[in-house]
Amino acid sequence: MTAVTAPLRPPIWRRLVGFNLLTGIVLGIGGWYVGWFGAHAVVGPSLDYFGDVDYNELSVFMAYIGGVVGFLIGLGFLNYPARRLLGYPPSLREKETGGWARYFGLCTDHKVVGIQYLWGIGLFFFIGGLNAMLIRFELLRPTHQVFSGGTYLTLVGMHGTMMMGMMSSGILGPFANYLVPIMIGARRMAFPRVEALTFWLLMAAGAILTTTIFFGGFPTGWTGYEPLNVQAAAGMDCYILFFALAGISMTLLGLNMIATIVTMRAPGLTWMRLPIFVWGVLSTASLMVLAAPVLIAVLSMSALDRAAQTTFFSASGGGSNYLYENLFWVFGHPEVYILALPGFAIVLELLPVFARKPLWGYRLAVAGLLGVTLLSWMVWQHHLFVSGINGDLRPFYMLSTELISIPTGFTFICGLMTLWRGQIRFTVPMLFCLAWFFNFLLGGLSGVFLSDVPSDVTTHGSFFSMAHFHYTIMGGLVFTFFAAIYYWVPKMTGWQLNETLGKIHFWTMFVFFNSTFAPLFAIGFLNQPRRVNVYAHTLQFLNDWVSVSAFCLGTSMLIFLFNLVWSLAFVKKPALANPWASRSIEFQLPSPVPVHNFDRIPVFSSDPYGYGEGPVPQWVPAGAPAGRD
Amino acid sequence: MASADVTQESVGYEILEGEPPELLGRNLVAAGHLLAGATAFFFVAFVFAYFYLRSLNSAGMWKPKGVDSSVGWGTAIVACYLLSALLVRLGLADHLALRRDQWRLKGLAALLIGIVGLVLQVIGWTQQGFGPADGGFASVYFGWTAFLFLFVLATLLWLEMTLATSLRYRKIPTGAPPPGHAAGDRHRERHDIRDPLSLVRAELVALSFYWTFLAGIAVLTWIVLYLI
Repeated sequence: MTAVTAPLRPPIWRRLVGFNLLTGIVLGIGGWYVGWFGAHAVVGPSLDYFGDVDYNELSVFMAYIGGVVGFLIGLGFLNYPARRLLGYPPSLREKETGGWARYFGLCTDHKVVGIQYLWGIGLFFFIGGLNAMLIRFELLRPTHQVFSGGTYLTLVGMHGTMMMGMMSSGILGPFANYLVPIMIGARRMAFPRVEALTFWLLMAAGAILTTTIFFGGFPTGWTGYEPLNVQAAAGMDCYILFFALAGISMTLLGLNMIATIVTMRAPGLTWMRLPIFVWGVLSTASLMVLAAPVLIAVLSMSALDRAAQTTFFSASGGGSNYLYENLFWVFGHPEVYILALPGFAIVLELLPVFARKPLWGYRLAVAGLLGVTLLSWMVWQHHLFVSGINGDLRPFYMLSTELISIPTGFTFICGLMTLWRGQIRFTVPMLFCLAWFFNFLLGGLSGVFLSDVPSDVTTHGSFFSMAHFHYTIMGGLVFTFFAAIYYWVPKMTGWQLNETLGKIHFWTMFVFFNSTFAPLFAIGFLNQPRRVNVYAHTLQFLNDWVSVSAFCLGTSMLIFLFNLVWSLAFVKKPALANPWASRSIEFQLPSPVPVHNFDRIPVFSSDPYGYGEGPVPQWVPAGAPAGRD
Repeated sequence: MASADVTQESVGYEILEGEPPELLGRNLVAAGHLLAGATAFFFVAFVFAYFYLRSLNSAGMWKPKGVDSSVGWGTAIVACYLLSALLVRLGLADHLALRRDQWRLKGLAALLIGIVGLVLQVIGWTQQGFGPADGGFASVYFGWTAFLFLFVLATLLWLEMTLATSLRYRKIPTGAPPPGHAAGDRHRERHDIRDPLSLVRAELVALSFYWTFLAGIAVLTWIVLYLI
């Protein structure tokens, strides 16, 4: 192979001028003001910004829309569409050169986008985690301590919204973007610019949500229920814009994933040879493509109610707040599986590697993933059991919710049978996978209480449901997110993470996660309501226990952060190309993977799970990668 | 991160360049169908809102007196969208039959008629005699038509891109355009897609499917918002 090395780097001032993050931020701020003044010019004569008490919702919406457009212009996202409008032909790639600069702008290398996602989502995950710490700090005492009721609600809302919105792309963003093209033997995603756009839209969304505190926050929690929504201060607009942008990002991410998997698989990679991780991505992506547009639609209605005086959700104006609740949960429940399914897929992908056995029941596992995907559309009204829905609807939704445990059980069976009589290696990624079994089992079993109408009526608004979804989402997704980090980051960066620190991180996280959330089941049964920062004095001991555990859980995240920075920035121990002796194709490539992935498109002749079934598959010599040595 | 390594990392341009156009063609056709699925679910929310609010008729404010959409305006707008989509389909047939001049004519006509439809929609909003705050139906009407407007606008931009490429390179329908004509990496010497101009057809296939689908949604809009 003849490779062209990137030319000598220009001076730093030259690199700062051009389409990059810095320009994006500058134009984003400029666009914000253009939108703000523009909307004021349209709606009214007032130009007294910030000190303005008669601001209007339109100005807030237009300011942020202007900001996002400016941000994207600064990053260079409008150059290509502009050239296409002038008639220039299509192209695929931009700025796939070497060097650091590509991480701070529009880059169409799927591996760069994956790493951008990892750091970007990590940043907002950290902010969301800090919110959680503040919430638990407030709950150390049963009466008001630091925050007012409104501020406390904003903290709860920001934590929930940030985590749900960002972590929806928590696996697909970093890991699927990085790995799916490699796993299917392709050199790119179907639409590389769209792939980059999904990341930068999500970052813009995160920044918008963070600024809600300048506009009075929002009192609705992550669900944004009406009529609180339409009555809230301008901070609510930030929530609406955040979720709408995250929804657009999710839709495009899902679309890109499906198009990639369906149209770009290498020769020989039949559906039944597809890595189970890719099946998980495909299931999740299909939910994203279909569910996120409903979210965008309902938030658009909400924005119109606030800015254009429509009455979608106002009963006195011919609307209904139940409309919001229904549409939100048509998205909201598939969203739960958008979060959970990638976790299932990671566990099933990693278990064979560390049990040294083929994946048990591959077809059953695929059926489980697809079954969950299908059934997740039929359960949304269980979120409305206590909202006064027609009683006749309850049995159906109770049954459909409980049915979903069957395909979920397939995943459990396949995982457990893969472990059975395996030669298990207790590496850090494997420990996180094993923890998933315990956590998700508790999350699933407590879910039965919430799917049954009689028990749901008593537990719905309490900390019980909060404990349940933290067991499923944090126990199911975040643990597997860390499994994926420890498993794939050495491949992605070329540097090894410290194993001892990783194990300390795991054990502290596992112990304090359970110590934080298990008592919340009891607190919920004792009727402590969610989203309120005062509670009965008799519950103070349990609450203090939970808060202290939560602080320790937060500390375990700092151990991880230290490990990451220490290992990648200071120790820099080179990772082996295949540190886990995996048979998956990404581990047959050098670390980090070259820009073009493969010299020749590989030909697949088997699935990647044949541990103990002879030598490495044939596709390795057929697709011999271009090394960097 | 491996800072020393990534700055010296080589890029296999010779491998990346010259990708067969069929691959992006398949991507585009798949994306057209997926986009249709996403669009369907977006508008399902408005269909749901229509029937839900209509059945509730909260405070008798579903359709207060004087709130009724003009069938004439609706028919004119939807007819434009339908005609535009039909012309794109006929243009695709011309392109497949290698009658590229005919495709370009039909494409131009489709673009103009689509724009007329959008202009009629803007005028139509001002002629309805009710505003977005006038009850449940008015809310659904303005929300639904506003977003349909945006979807149609985006589709027409896509049509313009395809048409503009076809017009700009009308004398070289296939083969590589001059160096530097495709946007992208400044270090690159060749196009990253071999024969990028041949992708006009794949774009047209995807666009034609999506525009027809959207015209179908426009017909649904007409039935629900103007006829029922």
